[in-house]
Amino acid sequence: MLRVEGLSVHYGGVRAAHDVSFTVVPGQSLGIIGANGAGKTSTLKAVMGLAPRQARGLRFGEVDLLKAAPHTLVRHGLGYVPEGRHVFPGLPVEKNLLLGAYTSSWKQTPIDEVYELFPVLKEMRHRLAGALSGGQQQMLAVGRALMCRPKVMLLDEPSMGLSPILVAEIAAVLKRLNDDGLAIVLVEQNAKLTFEVTTTCLVMENGEIAATGTSADLRHDPRVRRIYLGL
Amino acid sequence: MQVLLQTLIGGITFGAVYALVAMGFSIVYRTMGLVNFAHGSVVMIGAYAASTFYMATRLPFAVAMVVAIVVTGLIGLIIERFLRPLENKDFTLMLIGTIGFGAVLEALAILIWGATGHAVPNPVATEPIDLGGVRIPTYSLLVIGVAALATALLALFLQRTKTGAAMQAVAMDHEAATACGIHVGRSNATAFAIGACLAAVAGSLIGPMLYVNPTMGGTLGIKGFAAAMLGGFGSMPGAIVGGMAFGLLDAFAAGNFQEYSELVTFVVFAVVVMIRPMGIFGEATVNRA
Amino acid sequence: MRWLLGIAAFAAAWLLPYALGGYSMHVVDVAIIFAVLAIGLGLTMGVAGQINLAQVAFFGVGAYAVAILTTGAGLGFWTASVLALVAAVVAGLLAGIPALRMQSHYLGIVTLGLALAFINWVTNAHVAGRAEGISDIPVPPMFGIDLSSAYLFYYVELIVFVVFLALALFVTHSPLGRRLRAMRDDDLAAGALGAEIPLLRMTAFVLSGLYGGVAGVLYAGLIRFVAPETFSIGNMFLLLAMVIIGGRSSIVGCVVGALALAFVREALLDVSAFAQLGYGVIVVLVVVFFPKGLAGLLSRRKAGGRARLGPFQEYGTAAADEGTVLEVEGVTKRFRGLVALEDITLSVPAGQIRGIVGPNGSGKTTLFNVVSGFYSPTRGRVRLHGRDVTNLAPYRLSLRGVARTFQNLRLFEDLSVRENVLLGLDRTRTAWIWRYLATPWAVARYSRGLNRSAEEIIARFGLQEVADAVPRALPYGIQRRVEIARAMAMSPSLLLLDEPAAGLNGEEVRQLAEIVRSIRGSGVTVVVIEHNMGLVMSLCDHVTVLSSGRVIADGPPDEVAVDPDVVAAYLGDSMAAPTESEVEHAEG
Repeated sequence: MLRVEGLSVHYGGVRAAHDVSFTVVPGQSLGIIGANGAGKTSTLKAVMGLAPRQARGLRFGEVDLLKAAPHTLVRHGLGYVPEGRHVFPGLPVEKNLLLGAYTSSWKQTPIDEVYELFPVLKEMRHRLAGALSGGQQQMLAVGRALMCRPKVMLLDEPSMGLSPILVAEIAAVLKRLNDDGLAIVLVEQNAKLTFEVTTTCLVMENGEIAATGTSADLRHDPRVRRIYLGL
Repeated sequence: MQVLLQTLIGGITFGAVYALVAMGFSIVYRTMGLVNFAHGSVVMIGAYAASTFYMATRLPFAVAMVVAIVVTGLIGLIIERFLRPLENKDFTLMLIGTIGFGAVLEALAILIWGATGHAVPNPVATEPIDLGGVRIPTYSLLVIGVAALATALLALFLQRTKTGAAMQAVAMDHEAATACGIHVGRSNATAFAIGACLAAVAGSLIGPMLYVNPTMGGTLGIKGFAAAMLGGFGSMPGAIVGGMAFGLLDAFAAGNFQEYSELVTFVVFAVVVMIRPMGIFGEATVNRA
Repeated sequence: MRWLLGIAAFAAAWLLPYALGGYSMHVVDVAIIFAVLAIGLGLTMGVAGQINLAQVAFFGVGAYAVAILTTGAGLGFWTASVLALVAAVVAGLLAGIPALRMQSHYLGIVTLGLALAFINWVTNAHVAGRAEGISDIPVPPMFGIDLSSAYLFYYVELIVFVVFLALALFVTHSPLGRRLRAMRDDDLAAGALGAEIPLLRMTAFVLSGLYGGVAGVLYAGLIRFVAPETFSIGNMFLLLAMVIIGGRSSIVGCVVGALALAFVREALLDVSAFAQLGYGVIVVLVVVFFPKGLAGLLSRRKAGGRARLGPFQEYGTAAADEGTVLEVEGVTKRFRGLVALEDITLSVPAGQIRGIVGPNGSGKTTLFNVVSGFYSPTRGRVRLHGRDVTNLAPYRLSLRGVARTFQNLRLFEDLSVRENVLLGLDRTRTAWIWRYLATPWAVARYSRGLNRSAEEIIARFGLQEVADAVPRALPYGIQRRVEIARAMAMSPSLLLLDEPAAGLNGEEVRQLAEIVRSIRGSGVTVVVIEHNMGLVMSLCDHVTVLSSGRVIADGPPDEVAVDPDVVAAYLGDSMAAPTESEVEHAEG
């Protein structure tokens, strides 16, 4: 469904990612892990057209992403949860969610499903998003991406800055969404979370894919530890 | 006491116009990070468009305002298209580029309407209302009313419509807005057009209060800009409060220092923003600068 | 070559009056006054980056002061002129005060407001002649030469112009000008390199006032009549257009732009609306398509795309000082309620390479910003060599031996690599600037000394091939090296490196490690934030791990790496990731 071939990202003279390839099939959950600065975020941004990119191929279903303008991706069913949440702080929670459904009619949105998934958002729906806690903002960011009824959802470091309980909560939600048939690409520094949620994993190092495997195998792979801790 | 109230009414009337100008600055700045120094000249064009139409056709003033709004809205779209390369760039370049555009508009006004300008008859030629010795010109009420209406419509647009919400989203985080499927360029053009429409409202209202001439945009633009800054750049409530504050400051300076009012106004303004550079509502503004 | 061109231009200018009619001569005289004004605006706005829209008011202060003092107070022209210059400089100082609190468009609107205030005053004040202005300013006496002649006054103007052009060029190319340009490009980085930003901003405004005053005196002497409209906002914008079209950061460009527009304006005087339309369009086109103006079209910087780094030459070894270099004690930093650092305590002994690591958003860079004076801590103290330096401004810390690099590289993009290094070398206080007027030769000598030291540093860091390129044109790896060279040019005792290996390839990382070790060997204490854990493990003597703004571990690298809290912070909560030896053990 999502096919990335030979994707490279350069900022000015800096190589952030080089020759990254992966595919995502419907219902799959793919993790991309690696230390800070390994090129995970750049890869995701490049897929979304938010970073300068080169690629041999970048397709989402029938759509050539290299030719599509970034703001049209939502319409094709590509949801994106940016790193650091990036909710619209000065707008109420509900408005944030509705903006996730910007490309469709506001009369028929999956907002009730999102509220069911995150009851706390319903409680807070009239509060400004900027007044929410970090965990609530993360839920809001995920909820906002769900509002466009995506087929694939790209998540960038949803665990960042969250307490272990909240990380577990996010993990549970992601697993549930995946079980319901949503394909997930999860970029994470938190390897444990990623291994729990995903079935397949890429390990990135210095902008390149250093290892690939099933999450179960990688969990016990000493290479992962070396990449993270330098041992 | 009566003198004070009389000054207050004059201040609020001009303050309402400054607030409209300041809102025009602010909506463009917070949506696209562009400080538009041509805004004053757009106000001037609006004043000319409304007054010329009003005096030529003798149709109701409201119709003239609508015409002015259409004219400046179109000009706004054209300016935005030209200056798009400058958005979110080096401030000096924006400043110069938009000032250049202002000069172009001013020159066009001179070519079309001549350099001398014209006086505009008062569209509501009734006696001022007398309230316990304080004379309230009916036109002041019209100005305040229209400004309040425009503000309310803008607020409704931003709060209640999808396009308005999208514009606010772009202002807060244009990358996240793109990821939501919002076309940032289109949103910016809308913001610019709205800013220009507000300029038209301000211009058509100020026409009968001042003498309409090609250079009126400079002073009005600077005062509106100063009002926006006083309130907190990019904040809509800030623009309203800043506009009112500037109008009152202007009126009291005129009352107490007569011909030196501008000197006093701008020195006080400089001192106030020195003490609080972020303006009254500065904390809440979008972090763009 | 340049000198020859300059002399030829001067000779041509000297002979010019022989070719001109009376009116043309007058036009040239006015154009030169605009050129002086443009130089002043170029210095403040182009070189120092201060949006100053009150230049025309300084011009007015100078002209009006001469007019009032000669006609009102009965002073002689030249006495009045000296006082007028003082008045213009004082006006510059006053208008510059807002620059201490605000920049960019805020500063622009405030200075514009002050200019309007000035116009308002001269239009209404009796002493300034109200709207009619002041006429009958006496002809400047000059040893019997009749300066009421546009031809003879031209020579006075020409000499003044050349002197002040030379001063502007000297200032721009001196250490002061370098600091002003650095401040324009990035005032934070300039502060970290020891530039006193507030004083520099005031200096820019003083220069602006001085040039405005000089132009005003010339104007009063030439026209012998002053009226408010000469100093209008319209003319301020014309002046701006001159500077922009010429190329604001090039002094010569400003002069060319001023002369060109002054003549164009004169030629189109009868069709002024078309003239305004024309220059409005030109300004828009220039800004959109040639942001650097005429000067930008002509100048070509050496491209450094294919340039290579030379080898790094090791520093000699020297014993580090005894004792503790850096102590951070109970530092907490909050941003509007958000806790970025919570009760951080650490101390770095002399001669150590200390690593600061931690996941994204754990507060590492915030800690650097507190230590280097960019942030004031909400609570806690920072001590350097035992002396309390909490809340000191970055430039003071810099002068006390703290040098830093930045995560996202803050090189001055419009300055060459050599100039970047020279900025690090320049350890003078800005108060030194009186020497630029009093003893310029001493400044020139000092500047030559700096140049020699810069060559040494450039050679040591292998930057010979790229010394004249602008950083923007260089590959990232070289830019990283330049930033370290610039920091080391400050001869620091404490070097803070923020993610020095980010974006480097394997070989570059190896060279970086070698450089950092050599720097430590020369007696400098190094604190490094780094994500490349391989580098941290091999390079650092001691590692402090931050997570969510707290210190969660502190010790030798191999101990820290197996600390359960650290593993959890990096790999996820409480994941018992096995070490390599455990895996081998299990498999064996």
